Amino acid sequence: MNSLLPTLLQIPGLLMVFGALLVPILPHAIRQIWMLAVIAVSAWLCWGIAPGLHMTTQLAGLDLILVRADAITRPFALVFHIAAALNVIYAMHENIRTTATAGLAYAGAAIAALFAGDFVTLFIYWELTAFTSVFLILISRSERSFAAAMRYLLMQVSSGVILLAGAVILWHSGQGLSVQALDASTLAGGLILLAFGIKAAFPFLNGWLQDAYPEASVTGTVMLSAFTTKLAIYMLALCFAGTEILIWIGAVMTLFPVFFAVIENDLRRVLAFSLNNQLGFMVVGVGIGSELAINGTVSHAFAHIIYKALLFMSMGAVLHRTGTAKASELGGLWKRMPLTMVFCIIGAVSISSFPLFSGFVTKSLTIGSVAKDGYFVVWMILIFASAGVLEHSGIKIPYFAFFGHDRKFEVKEAPVNMLIAMGIAAGLCIAIGVAPQLLYGLLPYAVDYNVWEAGHVLGEMQLLLFAILAFVFLMVRGLYPPEIDSTVLNTDWFLRRLLPRLTMAIARPILAVWFAALGQAKKIVLDGLYVGERASQQTGLVSGVASTGAAAGIFLAVFALLLLILFSI
Amino acid sequence: MSHSSEKPEISPAAKRFIIALCVICFGLTVLEFIIHRHAYFTLEGRPMFFAAYGFIAFIIVVIGGIGLRKLVMRAPDYYEAGDDHE
Repeated sequence: MNSLLPTLLQIPGLLMVFGALLVPILPHAIRQIWMLAVIAVSAWLCWGIAPGLHMTTQLAGLDLILVRADAITRPFALVFHIAAALNVIYAMHENIRTTATAGLAYAGAAIAALFAGDFVTLFIYWELTAFTSVFLILISRSERSFAAAMRYLLMQVSSGVILLAGAVILWHSGQGLSVQALDASTLAGGLILLAFGIKAAFPFLNGWLQDAYPEASVTGTVMLSAFTTKLAIYMLALCFAGTEILIWIGAVMTLFPVFFAVIENDLRRVLAFSLNNQLGFMVVGVGIGSELAINGTVSHAFAHIIYKALLFMSMGAVLHRTGTAKASELGGLWKRMPLTMVFCIIGAVSISSFPLFSGFVTKSLTIGSVAKDGYFVVWMILIFASAGVLEHSGIKIPYFAFFGHDRKFEVKEAPVNMLIAMGIAAGLCIAIGVAPQLLYGLLPYAVDYNVWEAGHVLGEMQLLLFAILAFVFLMVRGLYPPEIDSTVLNTDWFLRRLLPRLTMAIARPILAVWFAALGQAKKIVLDGLYVGERASQQTGLVSGVASTGAAAGIFLAVFALLLLILFSI
Repeated sequence: MSHSSEKPEISPAAKRFIIALCVICFGLTVLEFIIHRHAYFTLEGRPMFFAAYGFIAFIIVVIGGIGLRKLVMRAPDYYEAGDDHE
């Protein structure tokens, strides 16, 4: 035991998981310092881990790789730590121990998962991210959030179970348990791809994301936005780089959320659709699998975590101050929350890929790799989706929250700690956009792509500015759709509405037969007891009248005995 | 943003923004004939491709969203209220 804890603490991320155990007992101010210190030390430890195997062990005859780093591990680990630190700063104004504990442990589990070298170790952290993060949704303490949290947990745990099933089959086929390049056409590879696909919000597996994230607390949503989906992207890059089907899956992912985002009224849910769209670009990069494409995926994930957190933070600040994130109820906040508005716009132009902002220097690599490899249709889809991103994240989010119809909110600017967190994130968006070599230096391969080529910059500016012109045209003509308070059906409908109905449709006749049989059996038992009682009164074997409960008990006991006998045969 | 699809009134600030946007778009159009663009695809090399595609894509996204609304929009309490609100 004495040597176990120091050993465990050498595993990246676990320092944060164990550090989270102290969070509930620390006073508020010391807790903040503690969390930031733990994150800083963890980041320092991770930074020193070079690619390769670092810690292995044996468990029940299995060779487990507790710490292993790849060429793409460092940038992911770094940005996860940045996100964790931003989360702590952003949530400093609130004294909610559950959020702080869950948030730190969740980030730690995700970081530990990055370094997992085998699928069993990965499974443990995979599930740990699910169990820690669900509290960020539960903390909203409403029936709605509870239900969303349970659906979220169901999907996350299912993903883990499928991952484990794939790992077992992989091990059984003699390929070992190590995290490795996999063939998606094999059963093991297919199951593991499905497990990653659930967490990466593949089409039709994406409903949990838009369902659960907006139900979390103001700070919880920001924490959730960073880790789970990007961990899945990281694992896809390690195991399925160059898998062509991912190009098409990713292309669909970039496309469909943009239409849903147009009609969604809850701006945090709009951002959840936007997140899905951004994941699509990364999945396309993984599918292409070239050096440029993997650089694109990794750099895009890095930049995306920061600008998406910034956008969620700005909408969280709006929700915190006004009590709503619905576009139909917001507007005119630029006068009251000018700094939040500026930070939101920086996030918006970053995600929209305006030159000199982070999205431009990262997304260009992915789209460039698609063009270089000659995927014309996919390229057209990605360019189309880029205009869609501008629509929902670049225009809709800032416009409806801060401009548009003035709702005359008498609110204060966001708390100072929120502004600091947003300011840091905004600064990083600009820094990466202006000096991309800072990020490119972290990438697994040398970047052989000139994002500043004049023609490329001109094309991007034309795409974005003429798309804004289209927005103006629609607005001036009164053709832009009004925001309506509504529920937009998503793929979670299958889980929330279709599945229960199908289950009931199938279960109803079965239950009817079951209860009819139970009634008959009960009648037979009772009749038997009545006969027995009559007989006992005559013979003195049984005295008194058996109750219905006792009869049912006897029946169940006989039934259980029967099952036991059947089981033992 | 109003809650109807009627033509909204344009404020002076919005007018200035629109004029500035049009000027920038004009400038980008002029630059198209000055700056050479390295194209991977034939279509990409056509003059004003990105401008036209950006404009059209945005319109399609919005119109597509309006169409999608007819298919997937339900009452705000759809899931909570049960079958009556479908």
